[in-house]
Amino acid sequence: MDFDFSEAEIAFCEKLKGLLGSVPEKGLSRFEKDKVQESRKGLLDWLEKLAGVDYLSLGMDPGSHAVTLTAAQEELAALDPSLFLAAEVSARIFGRLLAVYGTPEQKEKILPGVTGGRLIGAVGLSEGGMNIENEPLGTRGVKSDTGLLVSGTKAHVVNAPVADWFAVAGNFEQGPAFFLMENGHEGLSLSPGFTMTGYRGVAVSTLTLEKAPVPPDRVIGPFKDDQRFKTVRSWEDQILTAAGLGVMKAAYETARNHAKTHMSGGKPIIAYQEVGFKLSEMLTLFQTAQLLAYRAAWMVEAGQREAPVVAHCAKVFCAESAEKVASEALQILGAQGCLQGNPAEEGYCNAKYLQVAGTSTEISRMKIGDGVLG
Amino acid sequence: MEFSFSEEQMMFKDQVMRFARKEITPRSMEHDLKGEFDFHAFRKLGEFGILGLHFPEELGGSAADVVTSTVAGEALGEAGVDGGLTLSYGAHTFLCADTIFAHGTDAQRQKYIPALASGEWIGCMGLTEPGAGSDVASITTRAEKKGSGYVLNGNKMFITNGPVADVAVVYAKTDKALKHAGISAFIVEKGTPGFTAGEKLIKMGVRSSHTSELIFEDCEIPEENLLGEKGAGFLMALQTVEWDRSTLMAPFLGSMTYTLHKCIQYAKERIQFGRPIAHYQAIKHKLADIKIFIEAARSLIYRIAWCKDQGRPLNHKEAAVAKLFLGDWSLEPANGAVTLHGGYGYCHEYEVERNFRDSRLAPIGGGTSEITKRILVKLM
Repeated sequence: MDFDFSEAEIAFCEKLKGLLGSVPEKGLSRFEKDKVQESRKGLLDWLEKLAGVDYLSLGMDPGSHAVTLTAAQEELAALDPSLFLAAEVSARIFGRLLAVYGTPEQKEKILPGVTGGRLIGAVGLSEGGMNIENEPLGTRGVKSDTGLLVSGTKAHVVNAPVADWFAVAGNFEQGPAFFLMENGHEGLSLSPGFTMTGYRGVAVSTLTLEKAPVPPDRVIGPFKDDQRFKTVRSWEDQILTAAGLGVMKAAYETARNHAKTHMSGGKPIIAYQEVGFKLSEMLTLFQTAQLLAYRAAWMVEAGQREAPVVAHCAKVFCAESAEKVASEALQILGAQGCLQGNPAEEGYCNAKYLQVAGTSTEISRMKIGDGVLG
Repeated sequence: MEFSFSEEQMMFKDQVMRFARKEITPRSMEHDLKGEFDFHAFRKLGEFGILGLHFPEELGGSAADVVTSTVAGEALGEAGVDGGLTLSYGAHTFLCADTIFAHGTDAQRQKYIPALASGEWIGCMGLTEPGAGSDVASITTRAEKKGSGYVLNGNKMFITNGPVADVAVVYAKTDKALKHAGISAFIVEKGTPGFTAGEKLIKMGVRSSHTSELIFEDCEIPEENLLGEKGAGFLMALQTVEWDRSTLMAPFLGSMTYTLHKCIQYAKERIQFGRPIAHYQAIKHKLADIKIFIEAARSLIYRIAWCKDQGRPLNHKEAAVAKLFLGDWSLEPANGAVTLHGGYGYCHEYEVERNFRDSRLAPIGGGTSEITKRILVKLM
């Protein structure tokens, strides 16, 4: 047992904080569907900076990275939630998918660009009206002379409008697999980007494949079952858990600083118990969520028997606590909190996404329930 | 960071649970319902070594570290030992015995620790008063110098183990003008003229622990019963917070796990509409909420324990966070466990009702949630 960060962990986070602190402006501006190229350039600029401090390659190889990763993710998620989500999907989901399950040729061709911040990745997993939890995916590949022809639709694909590469989950005769495609791939089309309630800087759209040709060397898999899809989903959940920490950190610190400086009745509002006690509860949720997220990450990496259940506990707790903390921050900030661009307002909008994205809190609770029932 | 327990700690937890299930848990319900202190079980705790676990071997302990002591506390709760007995153990070992151990002279240690570690003697601590709870500086019990000793006058309230204690650590004002710095601690033995305990209070929960008033009327105690430095009493009381927020709260965490297991068992056995209620989403969600609370709370108390083992000064912010979370956030899952059991949950037999009652103390005892929030605000 050791509740301290190691020197290496501290050094890594300091390096990241140094980068984030050295850039005065925030990361991603609001995504606009008619300014896709600007969004793409903005994201690539930041990915390159993050690659410079090795952020994008963290967790790609085996080793004790889980707690370091979670702590580093928290920092970035607090500073710029949209940049965080976009970077994580590109590196930690798309990149890690290649790193863990890709062929040597696939890794050699694509991975350096992703971890180096020169390429943007996206992963199509969920489908409209169904999810990988209880129904088979509708995306299917059928044999052709040159490989497979893949058809299907993927809903809400993060980074899709700006991505260079896609990994699309589906099935074919030999089993479940991911199909790799470049932007502009024959048969691949994207809907116009969505405008979201939260994560407004993230480019999201629906991806449709109509008999998209996929040669054998662009297939990751086949796998014997859909467990790999669930593993990728668990990576997504871990990202969303850390995103919750970021929401709480930003919202709590903004509200605390405001409460210390905003005067009412001749004293700072933190001196009023209505405000001070709210902040105490927010801090309690934040610190509790931090420890739970770190421990869950550690348990997953250590291969602990209860790790999947505790990881779901962490996801639910962090996502729901993020909404509560952001909501209370809004209350403390008063009208100022309701202005767009304020971390509390932004966090409040983002927090709902954390509860529905990845494994939703409802399904997570079902999995926790199933886990404890044995 | 890493969160593993050692092999020895896991084995010890298993041993404590087996011991508790055999010797104590079968007696818990009866003593809780009757509101009776279980002297037999308390002595068994002493024989097993729980009461003096962290004291040196020469004083009758096992020299265990704080994390191991916390593991033992969690194991008691997880084995189904009622919150009354574990509260008595906490007040005895940490608020009384450890204060003597940490601040006493060699003579005081030799005299009291072995008897307290074995369970031969029962200890309590008197700080709260009828008119002074959270506002410690306003205590009015006074200790006046008289000849070669002190004379105590005043009343203490809500004292766990009060009616059954053989020895009490009592906080009293030796200098009224100095507020916190005028508080000193004294060791007072049962039978000392002028010292009496009131009738046990009838409580909502933790019923097998006896709680009462302590009354001091011209109670003369010798100089050698002054504990630690004169005027250092408030700081000594504060130092028990580390134990309070780790090992003393650990049985409560364990009891939530016990409650979860009770819920799982019931959900699998209870048939409604032709199938076990465990199949229904609403039931799984309740189980999940209890599990989420347990997992969220666990690291908070072990962090305090681990830091104490490292010899670090108490981090008041982390201690307050642990107290506030375990207190305020435990009520909903404890309530959910009762609801999950339906009408049976409202009855004693299924034990979740006891945990529900016991849980209600968590936001009150050892510093209310409101005081805890005040502390956190000051530290921001």
